[in-house]
Parts: sequence; structure tokens; C-alpha cells
Amino acid sequence: MLQNIHGTMQFLQRFPPFNQMENTHLAYLVEQCQLRFYAPGESIIRPTDGPVEHFYIVKQGRVVGERTHLGREEAQTTFEITAGECFPLAALLGERATRTEHRAAEDTFCLQLNKLAFIKLFGLSDEFRDFALRGVSSLLDKVNQQVQQKAAETLGTQYSLNTRLGELAMRHPVTCAPTVALREAVRLMHEQQVGSIVIVDEHKSPLGIFTLRDLRQVVANGIEDFAQAIDLHMTPDPFYLSPDHSAFDAAVAMTERHIAHVCLVKDQRLCGVVSERDLFSLQRVDLVHLARTIRHAPRLDTLINLRGEIGQLVERMLAHGASSTQITHLITQLNDHTVCRVIELVLAEKGDPGVPFTWLCFGSEGRREQTLHTDQDNGILFEAQDGAQAAEIRERLLPIAQQINHYLAACGFTLCKGNIMAGNPDLCLSRTEWARRFAAFIREATPENLLASTIYFDLRVVWGDEQGCEQLRRGILGQVADNRLFQRMMADNALRHRPPVGRFREFVLERKGGDKATLDLKVQGLTPFVDGARLLALANGVSANNTLERLRQLVALEVIEPLDGAAYEEAYHFIQQTRMQQHQLQTRENRPYSNRVDPDSLNQLDRRILREALRQAQRLQSSLALRYQL
Amino acid sequence: MSLLSWLLPRKKPVLSLEQHERLMRLPPATELGDTPMRTQRWVVVDLETSGLNLNRDQVLSIGAVVIEDGAIDFSQAFERTLLRPDNPLSPSMLLHELGPAAIAAGSDPADALLDFMAFVGDSPVLAFHAPFDQHMLTRALKDSLGYRLQHPFLDVAGMAPMLCPQVNQREAGLDQWINHFNLQVEDRHNASADALATAELALILFSRARTQGIDTPQALQQRLNQWQRRKQMHSF
Repeated sequence: MLQNIHGTMQFLQRFPPFNQMENTHLAYLVEQCQLRFYAPGESIIRPTDGPVEHFYIVKQGRVVGERTHLGREEAQTTFEITAGECFPLAALLGERATRTEHRAAEDTFCLQLNKLAFIKLFGLSDEFRDFALRGVSSLLDKVNQQVQQKAAETLGTQYSLNTRLGELAMRHPVTCAPTVALREAVRLMHEQQVGSIVIVDEHKSPLGIFTLRDLRQVVANGIEDFAQAIDLHMTPDPFYLSPDHSAFDAAVAMTERHIAHVCLVKDQRLCGVVSERDLFSLQRVDLVHLARTIRHAPRLDTLINLRGEIGQLVERMLAHGASSTQITHLITQLNDHTVCRVIELVLAEKGDPGVPFTWLCFGSEGRREQTLHTDQDNGILFEAQDGAQAAEIRERLLPIAQQINHYLAACGFTLCKGNIMAGNPDLCLSRTEWARRFAAFIREATPENLLASTIYFDLRVVWGDEQGCEQLRRGILGQVADNRLFQRMMADNALRHRPPVGRFREFVLERKGGDKATLDLKVQGLTPFVDGARLLALANGVSANNTLERLRQLVALEVIEPLDGAAYEEAYHFIQQTRMQQHQLQTRENRPYSNRVDPDSLNQLDRRILREALRQAQRLQSSLALRYQL
Repeated sequence: MSLLSWLLPRKKPVLSLEQHERLMRLPPATELGDTPMRTQRWVVVDLETSGLNLNRDQVLSIGAVVIEDGAIDFSQAFERTLLRPDNPLSPSMLLHELGPAAIAAGSDPADALLDFMAFVGDSPVLAFHAPFDQHMLTRALKDSLGYRLQHPFLDVAGMAPMLCPQVNQREAGLDQWINHFNLQVEDRHNASADALATAELALILFSRARTQGIDTPQALQQRLNQWQRRKQMHSF
């Protein structure tokens, strides 16, 4: 092989997908290439050039994509492509012109492959085809695979929580008609060695489920007539999912509903049953078990001991391919269970105060975006007729609230430095008092009030009646929608933390003392998305709390373009995933938790995607600046 | 070989019938064109020699790439090692990492040079420190084939400071220019890799030439000649 072909192949083999392609295919690619030079500012491809004729790989330098928006003079840089990256896949595959002008940002060399050779290569190499078809999203897949692999290495097992339930439920479900005798049904279960039987109608549509737990109930109730029809004892209208749902969905459903069996139904016909055991034996993710143990913990000590298991569970979930969204969602759920149990234990210890109250949480807990280390941000909401009654109820509830705060701290929920806790008299309020407080935040937009609104307006009920909280939320949404000034102040506030990507440098890092230069994944990466989504949600009447959920609803309301929404979601998800991996690593190495990361410590692929993700945060901010003319 | 052999009349090279026919078929060199730069085909060459002595040292290998349609075309490339059984190991070989085994495995010099000239065709040649390569090739072609090299050579080592006067690099070598433009070269000091690096440098320089109003190969040659004359005058 010629020296220069070999040298160029070596260069390409540092990047996906070329590092996975067969040598003969890669050699073919290089032999068909031309190497072109572009001076700074020179256009490489333009929308006016007509259908794209070449595939480009940046060998050296930097290419920027520029889009000119209607009514705006200057072009906006939408992306940046550096060494080893390719363009323009979508236009080439779509046999159309590019929508974005690609320009060299500095002295740039590109390998240029003509369309015929591209098509030939597309046919030859599976890896190349996959890459071309999936474009950037295949890069994201690579990252996810890497995450799973890394976590799997520490565990020595690999199984995906994304497995379709249809694949998990291999066995034929055991079924019977509603008129079958109890004795007959139990005999069937025994013969087939299963823990459940599904009662179906003539169309195989599930009417109910009867499990070993139900049998225990029957025996405990002292029923002696086992000739009774099964439908008298079954649990009617059993919960079901489709076979296309994932193992994760089933695990969540079991945790939420405290059930051990999920029916699989397709076209209204029963096609399988997945039991808790199926999930356990295959995955060893004893999430359901953990949730149940938390919920039934007899003493505070038990709860404290269980906290360590949550950490292990997160590690296992990462290994099993759960995404950061799934994990934060689950941590939130387990934390909710812990909070509920702590409240129950305190009430049992101190006695019922005799007034109904609701336990609220704020901040990341309110948005269901908790990671393992988490502060307490909570409060109490109750109903009172007037100020005097409110004060009287507060007197009764405060000792209980303080005890709950104290116990939660013992369980690993760090006490809030800002004293945003239910044991603080300012946060143990009647509905009227809360409403007055929130209205003041919106009316008087002082810096303190703006900061408070970013915490309190993500409120959610963890324990107790939800009605009062819903009324409060409706009040907030109505007032924010009417108050353009407040929105503008919030937008200004959302621009405080600039994502650390520069125009000319990869990352703009901060150096703290003598440490290595780093960036803060939470404040500089996630906060812009969280703040932006909150503002747009409150301004547009979206009642969801979760950042991704807010973005989705904003897309549905056409406040955000679907493509932008998807890009924000992917970017947010990636930064969160990086942050959680970081936390896991710190735990394993017995280092304190930190959100700061040195980009040089990431592999090249992660670094590139992180840069793109932060650039999306930047785009969200500039869209806010434009919307609110800041 | 006797010490006085260079005093004796040179022997005419003995070519096979086939080699002779190939020699006859080589196209004659043409002058540099007056058409746009992009339409000119260029051959960028780098030689490895047994040393820097213009009269005694020999060409050991030839690496060349082609610039056509304004880009380096990877489907056209040339790479040959020349068979030199009598060549002693010299220090420069270490530099080129071309050990005696690789040289011994090379092609017959007459065949290799015929292949090269067929590859060059009627295109002008670019090289870094072109006078050296031009001289070494001229002598090798004369010795091995009795062929008179008449192709125009343009010196990239001259084009670079002429077109980038702001770069303060006096008598800079290829390495300095590679560093200046931050070129990524996989395996330096190999004829092919150096030819590729020189070609990348040439592409940058062609781009700079265009911004300075130099639109044709002829204009480039004229400007380069003027610049070199002026530089020589200044040095007196």
C-alpha cells in the first residue's frame, strides 16, 4: 500500500466510524479522495450550489455552519466541525442542497469524496452505512454504549433495561375463564409452576389476575369453599403494558403500584405476563424490592442502612443501560418513598397532630431531577380559615416538621444551608399564606425574589393531599403569564450562567486556585436548560415541573421548534449523563462529590459531544435573549 | 569504481528494447500555462538521496503526488525505491530511514525513472528546494536513460516567503513551514510523506497567490523569478 494512503488511513482511524471500518473499505475511501484547502472565510458548500456532490471529512482546521434567518442580516453559527468529523450527511443522503452554508473558519483541509464513491462505500461497509444513516445520533449511541460498557466492567454483567418486555416474557401465560373454580385455578398454577394466573374472556382479553398473594388472602380470610368461581377472588382490571414497553417500564410500574406481575396486552389480547422474578433473575435490579423495603421499614435505622443500597442500585442501573433520565426519575421515586416513610415513622412516634397537611418539595426534588447527593428543599402546606388559625396549626405542626427534617438528614438528605425546610416557620404555611408569598415574588422582582422563584416555583407534593398545591400552581401560572416584566427579569436571570464554549476555543475554563482548569456541569451546563425551560413553561401555562417534560410540552404548544426541542433534550440528557458518571467515579474513588469536570479527562468523543451539548445551551440562551430583547 | 572514473567519458546507458520504446513514447515537456491555476496539473516531488553532494550522490527513492483540479488527488500517487546495489550506507540514510534492505528491494533505476516520467507526463514539477531535486533528477535521468529533463520546476521554498512576507522566517526549511501552518504529517522524512506535506503547503500558497492577484501558473512563475532576482541583488 502506498505510504500516503496508509498515513491518511492512520489519521482517520482515530475517529468513528473509520476506526470500525474494514481496512480494505477504508483504503478504498482514501484512494478515491481529493484533499482540498480552504482559506479562512472561504465557502465550502452553499445552499445555492444545488444538490450536494461530495462528502467531506475535515482533516485539519475548523468548519462552521452558518444559517441566515429571515429578517436578520448577519448569519448565525449553528455548528462547528473539527478534525475527523464529516459533513453534510443529511443533504447528501437526501440528494438535496445543503441548508446551511459551510465555511472554513481557519486554514482548513478537507478530504473530499465524490458522490459515486460515497454510494459505493455506502454499499460496501455496514459501519459506514450505519454511521451515515444515523448521523450524529450514532455518535450519541456510541457514548451510551461506552457508558454501559464502563459500568458493566465494574459489575461483570451485562443486561439491558431497555429490553422489550415481549422478549422477556418467553413463557405462554397461564389463563382460565372467569367461571373456573378456585381449586381448579390453583391446581393450574401449581402444575405450571407459576405465581399468577390471568382470567380472560373468550377473546383472550384480560379480566383479572389471581396471584399467590391473593391465595394467601383467601386462606387468611378463612374461605373454605374452593369450588367458588375464580372471578370472586381475582384482582379485576389488572395493570398491563404492551410487549413493546421496556423492562424499565415494567420495573417502574411495579415500584409505583406495588405489584409483582404485569400483563402484556397487544390488540386487547393477553400475550404474556412479566413477574418481578423475571426482572430479578434476568437483571438483578432489585429496585422493586428496594422500594418495598423502604416503604415498610420499621425503624429509622433500617432506612439509613437502605441509603447505601440506592447508590449500588444506581451503579447497577447505569450498567444495565438506564439513561440519566431514567435514573434521576428512579432516585426521585426512591427518595419520595423514603420521605413518605420518614413522615409516617415520625407521625407514629409523635402521634397524629390532628390536622391534615401536605409535604411539599422544591428545586431539583420538585423537578424530579435528583442525583445521589441532594439537599433538603421542603415545606408544609395546610388549610386554615384565617391567620389566627394558621398560627395555631403551625404551632402544632412545627415540632413534627423539625423531627422529619432531622430524620431525613440522618438518611442522607443534607440539611439545607438556606434553611428551605419545613421546620422553618416561614415554610410551614397555610394555602393563603403561600399564595401571598408567591404573589410577592412575582410582583416585586428583587434579586432575592427571583432566586426564590427559581426554587419555589418548581414545587411538588410528596406526601398528602395534592389539591392545595394544584391551586397554588394555577395561581403562579396565571400571574406569570400576565406579568411580562417578571418574565423579562427571569430571562435575564436565566442568562447569568454562560455555557463555557468560546468562539475560537473548545472550552472556556475556570481555574480555581492551583487546580486544573475545569467547567461546572451543573451550573454551566444544566442550569441554562433548567432556567430556560422553567421560564418558558411558567410563561406559557405549562404545569409540568420536569425540565424535559417542560420542553416536550413547549414543543407541543409550538413555543419551541420540534428540532430545537429534540436537540435541547439530547444535550441536556448528555450533560446529565456525564455528571452522573462523574459522581459514580467519585464515589468509587472515595472522593467528595463535585460537578466540576476537566474536559481533557474525557475521551475525544465525549469531549466533542459535550462541546456540542453546551453549544445547544448557548442557543437556548440566545433564543431567550431574542424573545425578551435582552 | 575508480577514483578517477568521473574523468573518463561517460558510458551511454544500455537500455532494453522495451525500455527504449517507453523512452520514445514520453511526452515532451510543455511551458507553464496561461490558463486559470485550477486547470493546471502539477506533480509535487520529493527525493531521497544518498547525500547532498550534487555530483556524487544518487537518487534512492522518489515520492510524488499530483495536484489536479485544485486538489491533491489520492488516486494518483507515485512511490518507488531505486535499486542501488553499489551504494554504501551513508549517514543520510538514517535520516530517511531507508535501510539497505529496502533499497535492495527496489526497482531497476531505469524502469523506476521511466515509470516516474510517464507519471509526470507533460506537467510542471513542484518541490521544496526544487533546484536540488531538479539537478539530481536531471543527472539520474541522463545517467540511466540518456534523457534530457526539460520540465519547468517551481520552488515551493521560494514561493512560501514570497507569498507570506509577514512570516518572519529567513531561509526556513520544510519543517518550519509545516509547523507554521500546523500541517499534520503522519510520517516525515519519507519521500512520499514529504511530497504530500509539500503539496499541502503548495495548496495553501496557491490560495494566498489568488488573493494577491496571481491567477495563472505563468504569472506565478514570473513573480517567483522576479522575487528571486531581487533577493539575489539584495544579497550582493
